[in-house]
Amino acid sequence: MSAWLEIKDLTVKVGDKPILNGLSLSVNAGEVHVIMGPNGSGKSTLSNVLCGDEHYKVTGGFIDFKEKNLLEMSVEERARAGIFLAFQHPIELPGVSMATFMKYALNARRKAAGEKELDAVSFMKRIKVRAQALGISDEMLKRPVNVGFSGGERKRLETFQMAVLEPDFCILDEMDSGLDVDAVKVAGNGVKIMRSPDRSFLVISHNIKFLKEQIVPDKIHVLVHGRIVANGGMELLDEIDQNGYAAFQKEAVA
Amino acid sequence: MTRILSKQRLLTIDPGCSEVFIEKQLSEKTEIVVGKGAHVRHYRLHEDLDHSLDVRLEENAVYELITLHRGNGNLTFSFDLTGRGATCRSDVVYVLTADQQTIIRSDVRHNADKTVSRQLVKGAVGGQGQAVFEGGIFIPYDKKEIDGAQQHRALLLSSDASVKAVPRLEIYADDVKCAHGSAIGTLDPDQLFYLKTRGIDESQARNLLTTAFLNEVLDTIADEKIREEFKQSAIEGLKNNV
Repeated sequence: MSAWLEIKDLTVKVGDKPILNGLSLSVNAGEVHVIMGPNGSGKSTLSNVLCGDEHYKVTGGFIDFKEKNLLEMSVEERARAGIFLAFQHPIELPGVSMATFMKYALNARRKAAGEKELDAVSFMKRIKVRAQALGISDEMLKRPVNVGFSGGERKRLETFQMAVLEPDFCILDEMDSGLDVDAVKVAGNGVKIMRSPDRSFLVISHNIKFLKEQIVPDKIHVLVHGRIVANGGMELLDEIDQNGYAAFQKEAVA
Repeated sequence: MTRILSKQRLLTIDPGCSEVFIEKQLSEKTEIVVGKGAHVRHYRLHEDLDHSLDVRLEENAVYELITLHRGNGNLTFSFDLTGRGATCRSDVVYVLTADQQTIIRSDVRHNADKTVSRQLVKGAVGGQGQAVFEGGIFIPYDKKEIDGAQQHRALLLSSDASVKAVPRLEIYADDVKCAHGSAIGTLDPDQLFYLKTRGIDESQARNLLTTAFLNEVLDTIADEKIREEFKQSAIEGLKNNV
């Protein structure tokens, strides 16, 4: 059986600048993978390319998701196919409440799948249960999306969206960055709750404690200069913790 | 009490009264006098119309207008704050599509001390629609403790749409707080991208952001039934537009 997400020899440019230089990666259903690497190595580029951000130009290689060519799909088609990105910097939507946002998002999926729109009662039930589990008040659901929320609250609202939309493949781009100890735990709990044999995660983070204690990944990849230079398990975390990326960077150059 | 008006020409609100008016059918011109201490909430919903509205506010009167205009038309508003302590709020939402054209002229005259005016005008223009907003605030030299504000913001929903804003501030007094601004722009690509990453398609995303933009005004309608009717009408005006 081929992997759920299969990335092969991917090359990506922003403008004329190459960012990813032959990246290969495969993730199976139910697995949690972590991408680490020095700043500027292409981690966020990878997550944005997976979502279909047009700022990034794919110049070579392929990405298959559930045996379909992801690169031929629009941003919204990818989302409906099950790809979800928890944004590093969530976008403000003045005048749009979180409840309305999620209603549109859920119904768009249902419509694409040929299902009827959710009725008001089932919809409210669906979002209330998840809001409660993540400590999100009714007031937060009524307020405009991400407007006037703290960094921790925004990240919690990203986790909430993930819980509501139940995607198959979750990309978490530095969801722990800028959070205090308690907020990191809440973020980690969100992932723990969501973890399932039918759902995979790709986690981008610099926070070794967060990865070890909250995420507990299956596989770890080190990304340097737009390529994966090392693959391994939890032991890689200790190596990076002690020695940083210097050794990996030498490998990348050689 | 809520009253539905039809083709009313002259309306005098007695001192101390509190009333809500809804207007959907308008004659060419309406004149309103808001008596001393009276409080009027006035909601207007119209399409393809040439109309002028003259409002005079007496001492400590409060007049609050929310207008939703769709389609073609020349609209002229005149708000005359003649009584000390009068407060006038005059918000306008306009929605244009295809080859529709509209000109909105508004004059707010602070002809008494301690008068307050607030105006938020928001437009969404698609197709080859053309809108002009001319907003004036006049404050004579001998008036004191005046507080005026005017904001105009418009969304261009297509590359052929156009909006022009012409502010006219004539402030001859010193004891004045007066803010004004105008911004004309397009939908934010980052917001559209964010919505699409949640599975919402382009046209739904544009619709959601445009209605959210207009709802900054329409959401302030206190009565739920009226609010929903206005919001629904704005959505209809945007159909095939975003």
